[in-house]
Amino acid sequence: MLIKVLSVVNLGLETVKVDVEVNLANRGLPGFEIVGLPDKAVDESKERVRAAILSSGVDFPAKKITVNLAPADIQKEGSLYDLPIAVGILSSVLKFSIPDKSLFLGELSFDGSLRHTKGALLMALFAKESGFLNLFVPKDSANEAVAVKGIKVFPVDNLIQLAGYFLKKKNIEPVLYQKIINELPAPAEFDMKEVLGQEQAKRAMEIAAAGGHNIIMVGSPGSGKTMLARALPGILPPLNETESLEVTKIYSVAGNISPGGSLITTRQFRSPHHTASLVGLIGGGTKPHPGEVSLAHRGVLFLDEFNEFPHNVMEAMRQPLEDGYLTISRSKQRVVYPADFMLVASANPCPCGYLNHPKKNCVCAMRQIKKYQKRISGPILDRIDLHIAILPVDTTEFSDNQKNSELLESSNQIKQRVVFAREKQESRFDKDSIQSNAQMKNSHIKKYCKLTKDIEELLHRASIKFQLSARSYMKTIKVARTIADLDDSEEITISHMAEALQYKPKIYESA
Amino acid sequence: MLKLKNMDKIVTIENKNYPKLLKEIGNETPKKLYYKGEWNMDIFENCLAVVGSRHLTSYGRKVTEQLVTEIAASGITIVSGFMYGGDEAAHQATVKIGGRTIAVMPCGIDIIHPEYQEKLYYEILENKGLIISELEGKFLPVNWTYARRNRIVAGLSKAILVVEAGLNSGSLITAKYAKKYGRKIFAVPGQITSDVSKGTIKLIKEGAEVATEAGDILKYYNVSSTLSKLQKPSFNTSKEEQKIIEQLKREPMEVDTLSRTLGISAAKIGTTLSLMQLKGFINQESGKYYIN
Repeated sequence: MLIKVLSVVNLGLETVKVDVEVNLANRGLPGFEIVGLPDKAVDESKERVRAAILSSGVDFPAKKITVNLAPADIQKEGSLYDLPIAVGILSSVLKFSIPDKSLFLGELSFDGSLRHTKGALLMALFAKESGFLNLFVPKDSANEAVAVKGIKVFPVDNLIQLAGYFLKKKNIEPVLYQKIINELPAPAEFDMKEVLGQEQAKRAMEIAAAGGHNIIMVGSPGSGKTMLARALPGILPPLNETESLEVTKIYSVAGNISPGGSLITTRQFRSPHHTASLVGLIGGGTKPHPGEVSLAHRGVLFLDEFNEFPHNVMEAMRQPLEDGYLTISRSKQRVVYPADFMLVASANPCPCGYLNHPKKNCVCAMRQIKKYQKRISGPILDRIDLHIAILPVDTTEFSDNQKNSELLESSNQIKQRVVFAREKQESRFDKDSIQSNAQMKNSHIKKYCKLTKDIEELLHRASIKFQLSARSYMKTIKVARTIADLDDSEEITISHMAEALQYKPKIYESA
Repeated sequence: MLKLKNMDKIVTIENKNYPKLLKEIGNETPKKLYYKGEWNMDIFENCLAVVGSRHLTSYGRKVTEQLVTEIAASGITIVSGFMYGGDEAAHQATVKIGGRTIAVMPCGIDIIHPEYQEKLYYEILENKGLIISELEGKFLPVNWTYARRNRIVAGLSKAILVVEAGLNSGSLITAKYAKKYGRKIFAVPGQITSDVSKGTIKLIKEGAEVATEAGDILKYYNVSSTLSKLQKPSFNTSKEEQKIIEQLKREPMEVDTLSRTLGISAAKIGTTLSLMQLKGFINQESGKYYIN
């Protein structure tokens, strides 16, 4: 007797339908075999399925059972085929038919219940594209799948319940699309008002958040670089629905969504340590897995102690910084992962860290300093729009009013301006394939950043005086555009441009 | 051949062209000097050694530029050690005004050290300056060559100007040699809290003359300044700019402090500062703004 149950396989972010063909032969010695390029996890599903069926009070058929996962030439991995295989066997034993246009996914526990399984969102998106109607997924993973419109998601608790449903003895209430409204602000470790002083750095953070600009902070240890970066999530605009789906897809593939979790609606803040490996940061492995750059998609990638990162890791970030995606090529597979993130880097000015420190003396030789600063290559610095020097703050010199953090602007107040500026950008780039000012290419700059004669003159003078490179010149215009957006001005004025010049490359100069 | 080529660029102590002042330092006189550039006797006539800390502050740099520019323009040769920081600032200011300067290297004559100052090295030669060393060929700079080099810097000069110096610095070693050879010592006063002013303050306490303007030094050389008082650009400033200038006149400040003291938002003050910088009123170095 042959039964066909449908499931999927995820190749990176691409989803392919998989036919799980279960054959129960009366001839031959009893046994259980899985074919169709299963990996270890799939192969072990034999034992899980057998135990789960037995625990559900059904006799495991003493027949020669063969499961084929077609197409047979694509490697299958993971535990998601437990459910389709078990459903196939059960339908033969209990004689029920499987509804049409249904997809199954889920890992079984020995007691017959279903566990949270990664990839539910991708399957749901695939189901919608390919015209499937019903999705049977573990209860814990159902929240992911309901983010997609036009499909019925059945949250399955255990095998008995599911069999009962197919035998029309029990009911499972399908869940339809739910618009996920998450009004919760992004969790930030600090509020901007807790950061005393650092007025310019805070302003730079606001601009960076508003325009999606990459930013580098250079300053001595203890000057507040990390605190500023960690306060950043609090002023980031929320993800819109498309972005939210994009991000959740990556997290779903990576298995980074916790049980019961649903769409990710806040911008992610990733801060890998500088000992992170190339594969960990960029993605890869024999089965290409998304790396930190992809997990930071539409969010923030914070690299503390930037110049401590190995050279190859830093250079590998050039493509995602430029293109917003990256291609991982392996002998058997090529996977494209989106990686459109905002880079926030922090670095010390010199090996000892105290160059330009108002109180402590730097003990580094000039040669060491030059060598240290050269560790961040020109091409990387070129892709960073905002450069700020962070000097340590001496709060003993503050007046009581200045020390009172309640009088300072809170993250929420700043966020309102950021959200406003983002909305302006979204409507501006409606017909272009970009979302923020930072992504503007030269053609966009020409179109959206009209400069008057005066401003061009100013910029020209500045580029001579500050020795700006051609790329810095363009970056300054982009930053000025964001400043103008924050100011709710269609025109870029002299003062916008002058402020943008404040964030030109400083200590770390691109050679 | 190589040796012969080097021979061309040596002046020995027996040579009549050997700098007279340097002969006066007794048995410490180098037996021979290797050099690059053109050896003209008149370059040694009026020499002033200008030395400063490797970790020159923005204040030190500003003072060096201001004093050296005027002194070098009056035809005095600036002697220094080609190290980064104070030395480099002195050489730089001299070549900028087209003056002559002598760089005494701590290494063999065929090495540029530090190598990233190569541009300055050639600018010195282009401006008819000299590169001098008592060490031949590719002798690498080591601890003791720096200190030995300093005696030549002091020995060549009638007077020495110490801009900024730590308590345990090469600049003080140069000053010590100068004292030993009976040369005049000028020191620039600085903030008593600054580590790189402690050396100069010590010199002043020990009797060095305080130098606050180029005239102090030029008087000693009996030369009058050829630079008419630097024309300050007429400041046509807004109220806000005026306030900033007032603050910066007192001491250099970073943006955040300015923004706090004046109660102007960081965005607004950044705009003004950029514009003032472009107009040439102020300048920025190591994170702080100061008046030009």
